[in-house]
Amino acid sequence: MIRLKNVTKIYPPDVVGLQNVNLHIRPGEFVSVVGQSGTGKTTLAKLLIAEERPTKGQIVIGGWDISSIKSSEVPLLRRQIGVVFQDFKLLPKKTVYENVAFALQVCGASHRKIGHIVPQALRIVGLSGKADRYPWQISGGEKQRTVIARSLVHRPKIIVADEPTGNLDSINTREIIDLLKKINEFGTTVVLVTHNREVVNELRRRVITIDRGLIVSDQEEGKYVL
Amino acid sequence: MIVSVSRIVRFALQDFFRNFWLSVATVSVLMLTLVSVNLLVVMNVLGKVALSTVESRVDVSVHFGPEVEESRIQTVKVALLSLPEVRDVEYVSASRALEQFSETHSEDHDIIEALGEVESNPFGGTLIVKARNLEDYPKILSALDEPVYANLIEEKNFDDRRVMIERLEAIAYRVEVFVLAISAIFGLITLLIVLNTIRVSIYTHREEIGIMRLVGASDGFIRGPFYVEAVFWGLLAVILTAALLYPALAVSQPFLRAFFGTEAVDVIGFYNANFLQVFGLQFLLVTLMSLLTTKLATAKYLKV
Repeated sequence: MIRLKNVTKIYPPDVVGLQNVNLHIRPGEFVSVVGQSGTGKTTLAKLLIAEERPTKGQIVIGGWDISSIKSSEVPLLRRQIGVVFQDFKLLPKKTVYENVAFALQVCGASHRKIGHIVPQALRIVGLSGKADRYPWQISGGEKQRTVIARSLVHRPKIIVADEPTGNLDSINTREIIDLLKKINEFGTTVVLVTHNREVVNELRRRVITIDRGLIVSDQEEGKYVL
Repeated sequence: MIVSVSRIVRFALQDFFRNFWLSVATVSVLMLTLVSVNLLVVMNVLGKVALSTVESRVDVSVHFGPEVEESRIQTVKVALLSLPEVRDVEYVSASRALEQFSETHSEDHDIIEALGEVESNPFGGTLIVKARNLEDYPKILSALDEPVYANLIEEKNFDDRRVMIERLEAIAYRVEVFVLAISAIFGLITLLIVLNTIRVSIYTHREEIGIMRLVGASDGFIRGPFYVEAVFWGLLAVILTAALLYPALAVSQPFLRAFFGTEAVDVIGFYNANFLQVFGLQFLLVTLMSLLTTKLATAKYLKV
């Protein structure tokens, strides 16, 4: 599903983001990428969604080499990868429903398709009853669930979640992780970038640890070791 | 495709109203450019009217002696009309010439008294010759210099207004260059304003644009609304300029007619007859300007 071969990312002039990273994530896996701040976790997430290009090496997603992906092809890739960020990135003047529908609208989906898919996505994340609320009317956990619903509307094969629980309390954190596990059970590959020790230890899934741009550990059913 | 286009148009409209005062400023500057362009058009129309008015007053008056019979004058008229350079020849009889003279000097008692003392009509017939072009008059004059006419023609008056025409042309040219320069300056200011408007628009949309990129919106969908908005500006600017121009022309046309002393001044008629060409070209001009600037602005400030 996801394969990185000798991937190096250097930010000008000479800041190393990732160094010679080799990685293989199989379809349907739930992988946690852990490490301290500034070690290259977010760089990895950005490389997976082609927000950054590798300085060296090859990234293949679902058989598609995105190492030197053309700008015009990036939207096609992003429709296949759901993205969840710590800072939600919701539009404050749109309701929960409109925020989720926005992802389909800007990709040219028909009204009928939107009317069919958005309620489904909201049902999966448990927000059917709050579809008409605005972001300022819902909790942090609900905001993040809205973001997850938005990332689901393209029925992605992969979800990349970069610190999705960073702004949440422990109860909401648990809810979001449970939701990601539920999505993973449907067959979606989840790449969870986090530095939350409890989350990683409770998950008991594969853990990849990055330190100073290098993969220092890759364990099936691993724990947060740093 | 249709759904995407309609959404792009909707997003463009939203942006127009979200940055309403900025849109108003942009349309106003576009209108300034268009007003100066229209000033150029009006100057051109008026210049042509002025020149044709002066040109129509140029003629050669051929005065015959009182003793020359009308039949001979008519023969000369036919001969002149056979010249390719001659457009028209008007015959003024001796009695008509006397009447005209009396009417012209009706206030001048000395002249009228002197005229009364002369027993017979002192005027002969006159032919007023108009050429097809100003350049044709020398040829007509030289034709009239032929010996066969020497005993008939008493006097030839050529009312040459060439100097006046040349001056008029020179003035019209200078005014056009001046207005063209003003238009170019307004055009340049417009480009800068549009550039800045797009920049602000991108800034106010940065959240939305970021999310669009994240969820897989195409480059065309993200940039599209900015281009559509540029077309809105152009369209609005042309409509508002036309809406301002017509009343302004309606008010000024009577004054222009009085100034030029002719009913031939019909700028509104010109605009009516050439509405689509004039405003269509202006729409193309400002829209192309706006689109070009939008392309520059989005290339510089919108990283998709």
